[in-house]
This record gives sequence, C-alpha cells and structure tokens, in this order.
Amino acid sequence: MKVEFVSQNDKMFGLPLIHEEESESAIENDRREMERTWARPHGVRGFLIETDHKVIALRYIITAFVFFLLGGLEAALMRIQLARPESHFLNPDLYNQIFTVHGTTMMFLFAVPIMTAMGIYLVPLMIGARDVAFPRLNAYGYFVYLIGGLLLYASFLLNTGPDAGWFSYVPLAGPAYSPGKRVDIWAQMITFTEISGLIGAVVIIGTAFKMRAPGMSLHRMPLFVWAQIVTSFMIIFAMPAVMLASSFLASDRLVDTHFFNPAEGGDAILYQHLFWFFGHPEVYIIFIPALGFISPIIITFSRRKIFGYTAMVLSLVATAFIGFGLWVHHMFATPLPQMSQSFFTAASMMIAIPSGVQIFCWIATLWGGKITVRIPLLFVLGFFAIFVLGGLTGVMLAAVPLDLQIHDTFFVVAHLHYVLIGGSVFPLFGAFYYWFPKWTGRMLNERAGRLNFWLMFIGFNLVFFPMHQLGLKGMPRRVYTYMPDSGWGTLNLVASIGAFILALGVLVFILNVFWSRRAGEIAGDDPWAADTLEWSTSSPPPAYNFLYLPIVQGAYARWSQSSPAPLVKGLSTKKRETLVTSVVDAVPELRFEIPGPSYWPCLLALATAETFIIGIFTPWAFVVGAVLAFAVLFGWFWGNPDYENLKALETRARPEHEQRPPKLQPEKA
Amino acid sequence: MSTRPIIDVSELPHHGFDTLDPVWWGNNCLLAIETSMFAITIATYFYLRQNIHPWPPPLAQLTAPLNPLPNLGPGTATTAVLLFSCLPAVLVDLCARRNYRTGAQFGLIICLLCGVGAIVLRSFEFAAVRFRWDANAYGSVVWFMLGMHMAHLLTLTLEAFLLTLWIFKRQFDMKHRLDITALAIYWYWVVGIWLVLYSIIYFVPRVL
Repeated sequence: MKVEFVSQNDKMFGLPLIHEEESESAIENDRREMERTWARPHGVRGFLIETDHKVIALRYIITAFVFFLLGGLEAALMRIQLARPESHFLNPDLYNQIFTVHGTTMMFLFAVPIMTAMGIYLVPLMIGARDVAFPRLNAYGYFVYLIGGLLLYASFLLNTGPDAGWFSYVPLAGPAYSPGKRVDIWAQMITFTEISGLIGAVVIIGTAFKMRAPGMSLHRMPLFVWAQIVTSFMIIFAMPAVMLASSFLASDRLVDTHFFNPAEGGDAILYQHLFWFFGHPEVYIIFIPALGFISPIIITFSRRKIFGYTAMVLSLVATAFIGFGLWVHHMFATPLPQMSQSFFTAASMMIAIPSGVQIFCWIATLWGGKITVRIPLLFVLGFFAIFVLGGLTGVMLAAVPLDLQIHDTFFVVAHLHYVLIGGSVFPLFGAFYYWFPKWTGRMLNERAGRLNFWLMFIGFNLVFFPMHQLGLKGMPRRVYTYMPDSGWGTLNLVASIGAFILALGVLVFILNVFWSRRAGEIAGDDPWAADTLEWSTSSPPPAYNFLYLPIVQGAYARWSQSSPAPLVKGLSTKKRETLVTSVVDAVPELRFEIPGPSYWPCLLALATAETFIIGIFTPWAFVVGAVLAFAVLFGWFWGNPDYENLKALETRARPEHEQRPPKLQPEKA
Repeated sequence: MSTRPIIDVSELPHHGFDTLDPVWWGNNCLLAIETSMFAITIATYFYLRQNIHPWPPPLAQLTAPLNPLPNLGPGTATTAVLLFSCLPAVLVDLCARRNYRTGAQFGLIICLLCGVGAIVLRSFEFAAVRFRWDANAYGSVVWFMLGMHMAHLLTLTLEAFLLTLWIFKRQFDMKHRLDITALAIYWYWVVGIWLVLYSIIYFVPRVL
C-alpha cells in the first residue's frame, strides 16, 4: 500500500480523511475523558499495580542508577585497596566478593537494564504510541529485576556475596571449590535479570513493530528505535545461553548433575563457551542502545539530517550478526584448534568495520552541520575519543599472540572499561542531559553539566589509561595486593586519584539532578527543536502520551510535518485504546485495547522469586513455584481486563457509597 | 477556528488474526527465546558427546538389561500421541478462525487428553534413559532435555485447560479465539521441537 501523504480522494491509508473544524471545547472534553481513563493509581497500591511505561521505565532507570552508584562504591573501595602496595584495607576474601559484585552489578543490574529502560520510556513516545504493547508483562519484568538485585545485595551484606568473578568460571565456581551458597546466589541472580531482560526485549519488539504512528514505515523509523530493535533481537538469541550456563551450574551444585565435572564426562570449557556465547553479544547489547542515543543527539545539535541513514541501519544489523561470531576471543588462553583461533581473530577484526562506518557517518553529519555544543553533544564527543581508543585496543586483543601475553592482566581491564564506559556510560550521560527535560519538564543546569563532563572525562582517563601500562608490565587482574618492588605503585596511585575525580563528576551530576528538578529552567515541550515525536507532547508527557496520535510524513517526523499537522481521531476516549499498524508500512490496522493497572504482574514476580530464591536451597521450590505461578496465571487469565477497567472507571466516577461492580456484558461475536 | 486534516479510525476492527495482532508477535518472540534455549541445549549434548566414548557409556552395575541405549518404547509412544494431537490442534485452530464454537470445544477436549497422555508417557521416559541425572554428564544432559520439554508439555496443557474452561463457562469471544490460534502455534512448536529432541535422544546413540 502506498503510504505517501496524499490528500486527494479524501482517503489516507484507505481511511476517510476529513478536514475538521478545530473546536477548543471538544478538545478539552476529550482531554478530560482521557485523563480519567488513563488515571494513574497512587501510593503503595500504585507502586504495585502501575503499568504506565513511563513510570515503569523511570523506576528501572532510578533503580539501575542506584546499582550504578553501589557498583561505583565497590570500585572506589578496590581503588583504595590498590592505591599502594601491601595494603590491608580489605582482606582477600572481601576483595574477591567486592570485585565479583562490582562486575555483576555493572553488567547485569546497571548496564543492560538501564539501556532497556531507556527504550521502554522512549520507544512508545518516539513512534507515537500510547503505551508499550504488553504493559503488564513489562511491569512483571521490573519486579523480577528488582528482586534479583535485592537478592544479590542482601546476600552481599550477609557476607554471602558471590566471589568467583562476574563470569563465575568452573571449576572454581563448581561444587568442589566453592562450597556454601555464594555462587548459587550469583546463578539465581542471573536468572532474575535475564528473565527481565528477555521480557524487555519482547515488549520493545512488539511495540516497535506494531504500534508505530501511521506513515512511520521502517525506512522512516528513528535510529534510536532501530538500535533498540536490533538490541532486542540480540537479547533473544544471546541471553538463553547464560540462563542455561547458570542453570547447569546451579544444578551441578544443588542436585549433583555433571555438566561441568570432567570426572564424569562433563566439561569445564563448555561453561566458557556457553557463558561467552552470551557474554560477547552482551557487550553489544550494552553498546548498540548507546549508538541509538548518539544519533538523535548528533542530528539535533548539528541541525541536519543524518549522513547515510541506510548505512547506519545496516551497520547496526551487521554489528549484531558479527557480534555472535566473536565469543571465542575471550577464550584464546584455552586449548583451541588453531583454525578456530584464526576464524575468531578475523571476525573480531571485522566488527571494527561497521563500528567505523557509523563513526564516519556521524563525523560526516557533524562536518556539514551547524554545531551547537550543548552538554549532550559534549558527552558524545567524549565518547568518540574514548571509544576509538577502546576499539583500537580491542583490535590488538583480537590477535592471539598478543592476547596470550596480556590475558587476565590490567590491560584487559583498561580495554573493557574504555569500551563500556566510553561506549555506553558517556552516551548514557549525554542521553540523561538530552531527555531529562522530557522526563521532568525542567532542564539540567548547563554549567554544572560542563563541570560534570570534564571531571568525568579527565577522571576516567586518569583511572584507566595507566592500566594499559600496568597490564603490559604484567600486573594481573583480581589480585588484592602487590609487592612494593613490582614497580606498579605509582601508576596504581594515579589510577586511584583518577577514580576519585571520576566519582566527583558523578556526584556533580547527582547534585545537578536534585537541584534542577526543583529549580531548573522550565523546558517546555521541545527545548532542543528536535525532530522526533517525543518532543511533540508535553514535558513530562501525560499518561496517554498523545491526546491524538500523530501521522508521520517523512523520516524526520517533526521537521517534515505540514501545518496544521494531520492527526488520528476515532480512538475511544473511554477505553485505553491505541492504534496498531502494519509492520513494514505502518498502515492502520486495528484499534488495540491496552490492559491497565493490575496486581497480577507483582504476584507473578513473587511466585518467580519463591521459585528461584528458595530454589537455592531445595529443588522442591520449583514444584511449589510452578503451582504458585499457575494459580497466579489462572487469576490473571480469568480476571477480564475489560471488566477490571470498567470497574476502575466506575469507582473513580462515583461517590463511595454508590460503588458497585458493573455487570459483565457478553461481547457480540 | 482553523481546520485540521484528520483520519478517522473509528471503523477499524479491535482484533485481527496472525500478524495483525501484537500478541502474535509477542508469542512468537517467546517461542524464539525457547527455540534458542533448545538449540543451545542440543549443542551442549553434542559437545559433551565428545567426552564420553562410547555414548552412552556402558552401565556400571550389572543390572539387567545390560544395554545402555535408551529404551525406545515410552519415547516412541509419546511421539505418537504428540503427532496425533496435531489433528485436534489444527481443528481447534480452524474452528477459532471460523467462529465455530462446538468444533473448538470438541477439539480442545481431545487436545487436553493428548496433553495429559503425553505427560504420563513422558514420566516413563526418564526411567527409559537407564542413567540417573547424577550418574554422568550423559544422564545430566538427557534428563535436562526431557525435563525442559516436560515443562513445556505442562505449560501447554495448562494453557489449553484454561482456554477450554473459558469457552465452556464464558464466551467464544474474539479475544479468546485469538488466544486459541496462539495456543495452536505453541502446540505445533512443542510437537516440532519434540521431533528433533526425539531423534537426537533416541537415535544419535544408535546411529552415530
């Protein structure tokens, strides 16, 4: 079907096109009804039953940021310990727990959830939808994630924190060398975070494929949304591997299976394959959403269209595919056939190509643009510097002989932080500055922002650049201290000083957020004059996102809009309806009713929690959990959403003494 | 007062089958996740197979029968029941699409019986492996494959049970007709995955 904006024949997308007189009172009336239909629940009850994607996403973002601070605190403790040789600030056992919990927190509780959360907040707004496709499933994902994070930290505070490294290699993590429950906590925390990650992926794919505003065909989709879709597909194919790895590990430990026990035909290297088949795509699961932040920021602050849209999209997809062919380069120190080493070296070098294409497209965009260097762009420029360095050491590590020399040294620590902090955290902070006005209605302070950036940029390079040299000089990672005559003291001290400058930068950011939330400059709907649809609604957006859904007429939704902009009407204001459109061309197909607030997601999360937390101690927890889950799902299924929505509507509309549930009307087939 | 072009969507339907409905996409994404789970489990099976020669290893204790190969009986019976169950699943699928309630009710009852039958037969398959999960890596991985598929059989049957209950006790409404078509896809998927697992668990030790 043709999707161009044609107004002849009084039809668009095969639907009646009307030139309607705008009436203030009719709009006001619709607004009042929408406010009632989409009213948000409040208080503790509201916390448990809320399904609004914006509320859930902000909860995700705040929770993940708190975990980021905790992970950062652990990093600071490690830097204090390593600042001078033969330090006894931390004992070896505590040091093991701290570096394990630091890595686990940053990868599983901060990086992946916060990237998904940005998508959950922004994808529906960018594509012109009222909510995500499966809001209750989305709420369930959040609760599962929260419980997983609490499990890790509760056990850490009880001195049962996992201590076998964030990838918990066997045989160290197996039953023979890690008695007790520490590794089991790690394994089940993986289960929680992966369930939540997988659910986030399904929610984003369903939303981005089926709920785009009419006219937003695939080739007009913002690059942010492309990045989120590509990431979601990577999650779907990568995360099952780590769920299996951690399940096999847990069952080896709990019920004496022999997956990783060489004495009975099991295999320790198998664990590494399973872990890294997830673990390498994981890097891109964290990195690709960050690429999605960079494109809109560059478009906005260079005031022009992106250079090479198609090349950008293809590079994202290519990165995702190649990302699955690299996992073995984490295992070059294991006995592998030389053929496979060569293959994975080639693949590891190949992935630099699509990354390079994107960097050059961004440079070309900036080249021809009218650049305004605001804070979000500053962070993106910082990303270029740091990420290119991290990428270069990545190409170095792809070479087997070099990798064997510096495997498990601080060189690897330097590389991975350059890639992950440079590639993800810097764009993420840029994204915070860019979208904070949309979330709160106020701008973050610009001067504090500059201070924040420079402290972080200088601090970061001061911590991690010396680590390259430390690694080359032979300092291994994961040692709790070193001898004075090793000659590593000075560089370690420099790194520790850098860590505190970096922490100071983050502190400035937090103060900026608290200050700006109260006293920041009022942002208005569109403070950046940007092109994507989230800027066409109020800041913060209403619960229903858009009073009337927009129609998209070009690749840059707001820049290509005719005036007055065409809109969608005819969706119910009394039910939570949104428009479902076709996958490729975004032609309207259905009026889809979205379920509203409910207790079931939270109850299902509790059943899940019972299964996997008690499952650390006895396999019978799985039987009990299955029964509980079925009971909850029965209630979820049997409680008619129409019925619940109507009841909620009636309850709000009437005084208390008149409240009674309405009769269930049979639907006409 | 100015005029504004609008499109009127009030005539659009609320539900549509297959790719029209977001639920179809959500459902298939979940199946894609589970497919990767099984694919990686199968890779694990073949990886561990390199470590044990012959595969499966000879039985350690001198109990009869001495043959370590998995007993074909229960597994083949499960396969037969599952293959047969595709017929009522197709029937239910078609009846849901054509709004024929009685046919769907009849088909769902047969599906339920097949599901319960497959679960009962499956519970005999574990013993047919001849190794416990804690005997060796072969026992571990085969039990894991059987167990994971068993979990899907349970979920599938319970989902069919819920939908049966709904269309007997409540209405044969459009939303639940859609759910039934989603159930049918899940049904074909569970049977399809089983055919792969069946040929690996029972025939790789015999043929390869």
